Amino acid sequence: MYDTEAIIRISNVNKSFGRLKALDNVSLNVYPGEKVVIIGPSGSGKSTLLRTINKLETVDSGQIIVDGFDLYDPAIDINRVRMELGMVFQSFNLFPHKTVLQNLTLAPIKLRHIKREEAEHTALELLKKVGIAAKLNSYPTQLSGGQKQRVAIARALAMNPKIMLFDEPTSALDPEMIGEVLDVMISLAKEGTTMVVVTHEMGFAREVGDRVIFMDEGKILEEGPPEHFFQNPEHPRLRKFLEQIL
Amino acid sequence: MPEQKVVIDVGDGAAIPTKKDHGLLSAWRIAFFGAVLVLLYLVIVHPDPYWNLLKFIRDGVVVTFEVTFASIGLALVLGLFTGLGRVSHNRFINLAASTYVEVVRGIPLLVQLFYIYYALGQFVRVPDMLAAIIAMSFCYGAYMGEVVRAGIEAIDKGQREASVSLGFNEVQTMRYVILPQALRTILPPVGNEFIALLKDTSLVSILAVSDLLRRGREFASESFAYFETYTLIAVVYLIITLILSKLVGTMEERMGNHVRH
Repeated sequence: MYDTEAIIRISNVNKSFGRLKALDNVSLNVYPGEKVVIIGPSGSGKSTLLRTINKLETVDSGQIIVDGFDLYDPAIDINRVRMELGMVFQSFNLFPHKTVLQNLTLAPIKLRHIKREEAEHTALELLKKVGIAAKLNSYPTQLSGGQKQRVAIARALAMNPKIMLFDEPTSALDPEMIGEVLDVMISLAKEGTTMVVVTHEMGFAREVGDRVIFMDEGKILEEGPPEHFFQNPEHPRLRKFLEQIL
Repeated sequence: MPEQKVVIDVGDGAAIPTKKDHGLLSAWRIAFFGAVLVLLYLVIVHPDPYWNLLKFIRDGVVVTFEVTFASIGLALVLGLFTGLGRVSHNRFINLAASTYVEVVRGIPLLVQLFYIYYALGQFVRVPDMLAAIIAMSFCYGAYMGEVVRAGIEAIDKGQREASVSLGFNEVQTMRYVILPQALRTILPPVGNEFIALLKDTSLVSILAVSDLLRRGREFASESFAYFETYTLIAVVYLIITLILSKLVGTMEERMGNHVRH
C-alpha cells in the first residue's frame, strides 16, 4: 500500500506507571500521508502511545523513530523534532495571556524566525481555513470550546508540521460543537496531512481513517482498514467495545 | 481548561481591602480616616510638639521609603531566580535555592540584620544604609522566591505541554508562556510583601539608619516626649500602610478583571 518509508516507527515500546502497564510491547508504523485512528476504552494506553511520539511521555524500553530521528538518541535535538509534530490536546491548552492571532504567531516567529507580517498573514489564512478569522484579536477565554479547539488546530498548523497528532480533540466539547471541530479535521485529512488521531468518534474513524487501531490494556489488539474493522471485528474485546459504544 | 482565578495566600503585609469584602473595607475606612483625623487634630491643636515632631521625622519617612523601594527591587530579582531555582529540575540549582529559602526563613530578620551589620561588619565595612538594604533584600528574596514558585506551580501543566509540543525548549517555555502568566498571579502577593517589608524596615533603625522610627527615637530622647513621639510614629506608619494596602487591593481587582475579560 505504501512504498515510502514509515515517517513514524514505534518498535517494541514498553511503559509503566507504577504497577500499571500503560504500553505493553507496542509496535506501530505510520506512513507519510496516512491517517491512523486509535480507539479503545479509557485507560487502554492510547493517549500514552500518542504522547510518546513527541516525547511528552518517555518510554521505559523500545525504540521510536520520527522523521528519521531516534527520539532516544542523546545527540538529537528533541525541540527540532517537535517542530515537525503538531499536537492538539483534549483541553486545548491555548495561551490565555495571548490573543488568538498571537497564539498562532508566537512559535513561527520565535522558532522558525519568520517575519511578523508574514507570520500574521499565514495565521490569518489558517484562521480563515478553520472558520474563525473574525476572532483574531479575541483572547481564548472569550471563545467557545469548539472555537478554542479550532484555534488550537490552527496554532499547530502554523508551524507547518509534517505530522499532526490529536489527543481526544472532541472529548472536552459540548455535543453541538463536536461537528465543527471534526469538519476542520476532515478537510485537513483531505489535504493529505499525515494524522494520528486518538478519538471516541467512530464516524470520524470510519470516514477519515486509512487504518483503525484498537488498543486495550496497553496492547494493540486489532488493526485494519475501517470497513473491515467495523464490519468484521475479530477480537472479542473489540466486538464488546463496539457493541457498547455504537 | 480550568480557568478559575488562583489565589495565593501568603500575606503578612496587611489585610487587603477589596470591594467584595465589605467588612474589611469599612474597617479600612474607619482606620484610615480615623488615623488622618487623629493626625490633623494633634498637629493643629497641639503644634508643639506634634508639628515640630512631624517636621523632624520627615527625613525619616524618605529614608524608610528609600530602603523599602531599593530592597523590594533587589528582593524581586533575587526572588525570581530563587523561584526558578525552586522549580528547576537541575538538582544542584534546586538544592541551592531551597537551602537559601530554608536558612533565611529560619532566622529572625532582626538577627539577620545584626549578623550582616555587626558580625560581617568585622570583616567588611559597608555603609549603614547599604548594609540595611542588603539584609532586607536577602531576607525578602527568600519570601519572594516562594511567592514566585507558587505562581509558577499554579499554572496548568497543559501550558507547558502545549509550549514544548510547538518546539520551545524549557527556557523559552518559561519565558514566553509560564512566567507571563505567573506574574499576574503573583502581583497581589508581591504587593503584600511590599507592605510587610515597609513595616519591617523599622528594624533597621537599630543599625544607625535614620529611618522613620530612628528619627522618632532621636526626637524622644532629646525631648523626653515618649508618648507623643510614638503616638505620632504609629499613626504615620498606619497611614502609609493603609494607603498601600488600598493600592494593592485596587490592583488585585484590576488584575482579576483582566484575567476574566
